[in-house]
Amino acid sequence: MSALTVTDLTVHRGECPVVDRVSLSLTPGEVVGLIGPNGAGKTTLLRAILGLQSHIGQSDLAQMPRRERAKTVAWMPQTREIAWPVAVETLVLLGRVPHLAGGARPKPEDHAATAQALDNMGLTGFETRPATELSGGEQARVLIARVLAQDTPLILADEPIAGLDPAHQITTMQVFARLAAQGKTVLAALHDLGLAARHCTRLLLLDKGRLVADGAPKDVLTPEHLHSVFGIAAHLVETDHGLIFQPLELTR
Amino acid sequence: MRLSLLLSGLAALVVVLFGLSLLVGPAGFGIGQSLSALLGGEGEAVTLVMREIRLPRSILAVMVGVSLGLSGAALQGFLRNPLAEPGLIGVSSSAALGAVLALQTGFAASFALALPVSALVGASVSVMLLLVLAGPRGGSLTLILAGIAISALAGAFLSLVLNLSPNPFAVSEIVFWMLGSLSDRSFDHVTIALPVMLLGWVLLASLGRGLDALTLGQDAAESMGINLSQLRLRLVAGVAASVGAATAVAGAIGFVGLVVPHILRPFVGARPGALLPASALGGAAMVLAADIAVRLVLPDRDLKLGVLMAIVGAPLFLHLIYKTRRQMI
Repeated sequence: MSALTVTDLTVHRGECPVVDRVSLSLTPGEVVGLIGPNGAGKTTLLRAILGLQSHIGQSDLAQMPRRERAKTVAWMPQTREIAWPVAVETLVLLGRVPHLAGGARPKPEDHAATAQALDNMGLTGFETRPATELSGGEQARVLIARVLAQDTPLILADEPIAGLDPAHQITTMQVFARLAAQGKTVLAALHDLGLAARHCTRLLLLDKGRLVADGAPKDVLTPEHLHSVFGIAAHLVETDHGLIFQPLELTR
Repeated sequence: MRLSLLLSGLAALVVVLFGLSLLVGPAGFGIGQSLSALLGGEGEAVTLVMREIRLPRSILAVMVGVSLGLSGAALQGFLRNPLAEPGLIGVSSSAALGAVLALQTGFAASFALALPVSALVGASVSVMLLLVLAGPRGGSLTLILAGIAISALAGAFLSLVLNLSPNPFAVSEIVFWMLGSLSDRSFDHVTIALPVMLLGWVLLASLGRGLDALTLGQDAAESMGINLSQLRLRLVAGVAASVGAATAVAGAIGFVGLVVPHILRPFVGARPGALLPASALGGAAMVLAADIAVRLVLPDRDLKLGVLMAIVGAPLFLHLIYKTRRQMI
């Protein structure tokens, strides 16, 4: 059974396709990294998969009724918006909105999910602080915690670890891995190819809106792909500590 | 619960101010005399004043306050911007334009609800125009610019109506709509405005959860199952109905929707949903207090309620702009 199926997804901006006939299928237990240079169409692809963007082609998420979709997939947008100085706990509790019917008040299990999410992101002790007064990286962690609190089988995140310190980048990727081990699926747009190589079970490489490679990190981060898509050369080596990737120089 | 404590405190404040509002006036009756006349009197002058002048005035102050406070909180929550306010962004003046046009063309006399409905139409047009102009992100700058443009346009058309009007009474009438006041109102005004306002209140009160989710931005809210286009529609209809009806009976009263949510936001933990009921009660308290003040400050000069609100509210608006600017740098 697949967690997400996308068939021939295309998004046009004017005449020009920014996402071009992308088909993919995710299975439960995967941590999938969506990589590609700036402007490759990563954000547009993710938004189209969610049905937030008008598109041609099929995504099974986009066809779901709103409420059901909100219980199936949690989405972390790239723009980290926190409009009001609400307490961290209140903000993370918003992730429970899809689980509250009508005007129902949060139940003990909603508070438990919130506490669990805060704990996962190392935010215990931050509960009552106004979220807008935290640093950028801390705000990002609060927003990831909100996504975790939504407790959905599928998580889509747009550059969730950008701007985090190394310890929290690793923590976040490990949380994703742990969720995947519980049978959930994570699809995250990433720019740090080193972290992507090390922590993802599978990579999708997007270039000019087309999906040019899909597979295990070592099969996607080949010298040919790195040259033709990113214009770089890199050192990629399989070690006892796992896959290690280090960009070296420009090739064009 | 802290919220229920705050709400009961505000409700108590409204009750106290409502009582005070009944007791303050140029006729200068004693407290006991006023209350016994209100509750049990028959036909004498005190009873008439209490029942036909002061009671409707106080009730209208509550209704207008709830409408303005609620609309301000809802608009701010939706646009994620503390500068949004029905008076400031041209909704009140557009509603006033609708009302003045209805009066001038005689449409207002055609059926009972014609006046509030015309004000409501004026208000809806301006809210929709505003949402289109301010764009989906509702940035401060575009919002304020759009508001200025709409206010200016509505003001220009009001002046045009005044300019072309053959009726010498039109001037004082239009001054009334532009300044806003609760003096010389009757129960007719209450019965005309109440149904429309109630509709608006119900629509706005249902927005709480959606506005809470919007704290995280439109994309995140939509992915959490919030139907944004339906939310926007309910907001436009709710603001238009409440502000339209409030303007139809009291003229354009600005700044209530700005000041009240601003003061109460820290007490509700900045949650936009919780701010809705708090602002509704706070708005009622503020308009009651201001309406008592206009009767006490210059008792024989008919100080207009809208003028007083602007004198209190405009400096706060400047302060807010200053604060927002500092955050943006």
